Amino acid sequence: MKIVIAGGDSKAEYIIKSYKSRKNELVIINPSKSVVERLKKACQVKVYHGEPWSRIALEQSNAFDADVFIALCERDTDNYAACLMAKKMFNAKKTICVVDNPSNVEYFKKLGLDAVISSTYLLAQSIMSESSMESLTKTLSIDDNRIAVIEKVILSKYAICYKAIKDIRFPKYASISAIYRNYQIIIPSGSIVIQPKDTLLMVTAPANAKNLMKYVETERPDGKPAPKPAEPVADKNKKKKD
Amino acid sequence: MKRTFVIGCGKLGASIANEISRRGLEVIVVDPDESSFAMLDDDFSGDAKVEDASDLETLIDLGIESAGQVYITTGNDNLSLFLAHACAIEFEIPYVYVRFDDPTLGILVQGQSNIKAVYPFQLTRDRLALLREGSDVQ
Repeated sequence: MKIVIAGGDSKAEYIIKSYKSRKNELVIINPSKSVVERLKKACQVKVYHGEPWSRIALEQSNAFDADVFIALCERDTDNYAACLMAKKMFNAKKTICVVDNPSNVEYFKKLGLDAVISSTYLLAQSIMSESSMESLTKTLSIDDNRIAVIEKVILSKYAICYKAIKDIRFPKYASISAIYRNYQIIIPSGSIVIQPKDTLLMVTAPANAKNLMKYVETERPDGKPAPKPAEPVADKNKKKKD
Repeated sequence: MKRTFVIGCGKLGASIANEISRRGLEVIVVDPDESSFAMLDDDFSGDAKVEDASDLETLIDLGIESAGQVYITTGNDNLSLFLAHACAIEFEIPYVYVRFDDPTLGILVQGQSNIKAVYPFQLTRDRLALLREGSDVQ
C-alpha cells in the first residue's frame, strides 16, 4: 500500500512507526525543517521537506497514486488544500483530512473530501462513552449512535460465568456477537461456555446499554466465585498476562 | 443590489472595499486584525468586522449566504481556496473573486464557473515581459 503522510509531528511519527514495517511504501512530506530532521532520526525513514499542498513538493516527493493520503498539518485549511491537491492532481484513492475545528468536518465533506476526522469530536464521543460505563467496558457507537457495540470482560463472580450460552437467559434486546478469548475470536453458539477473562462483544441499542450491563454484571447469589465445572475445559488459556 | 463581502483587509482588500464604498454600495469587510482597518477611508460607509473568516459559522452569522459577490484577499492561499469553494459551492454566491499567490492552485478552482481567480504573480510576469519587449524595440 502506498501511504502519503503530509505534515504532523508526533502524530506523523506514530503513523510512520505503525506502517513502516508492513511492506508499505511511505512518502513523508513535512513543511517544518526541524520536524523533518527529528522524524528522520526517530523513524529512520526518508522525509521530504516541503509544503504538502504545493504541487511541486508533491511532484518531487513522488506522491502520485497513493492508496491513502493523510493530512496532519496544524491548520485545517492547509489539510483541505493538501487533500484536494492529492485527490485531483495526484490521483490519491483515499484522502484522510484531520481537522481541529469540529464544525469543519461537515463543510469539508460537502466540498468533496471523503474522510474528515476531528480529534475534538472524537474526544467528546470518547468522554461520553468513558463516563457512562465502568472502566472494563468500552462502547463504540455506530451510525450516529443508533447501534452500540459493548465490550465487557467477564469476572468469575458473575452469574453467567461458566455457563453455556444456551443455558443463560440473555436479554432479547441484545446479542453476543463474538467472544474474544486468548487472542482468538470465537463466534458464539449455544454450547460455548463463558469463561472468566472472556471479553464479550455485545450489540444492542444505546438506550438498552445500561440494562445490558446490569444483566451481565449480575453476581452469583452467594457472592462467591463460581466453582469450576467438572468437565475439562482447555485451560492452557490461563497463561494470559493480567 | 446585494451586499458585497471583502474577506481579508490587506492593501488589496482595503482598496477594493474603499472603491465599493465610494460607489455608494453596501460592503462588509472582514479581517481578524483590527489594525488592518486603518487602511480604510475615513468616510468608509461599509461595515468592518473583526472576525476570523476561517470559521464559516462566523461568516454565516454575518449574512454571507445572501451576498451578491465576495472578494477573497486573505494572505493565505489555502484559506482563500477553502473560502472560495465554500462561497461558490456551499453558499452558491453568484460571483466569487479570489486572489492566489501560487498559480498552481488555479487547477483546484477550474470548472467552477462562479469562481474567478487572479494571480498577481502571473500578471506581473506577463506585464514585465511586455515592458521588456517594448524596450527591445527601441
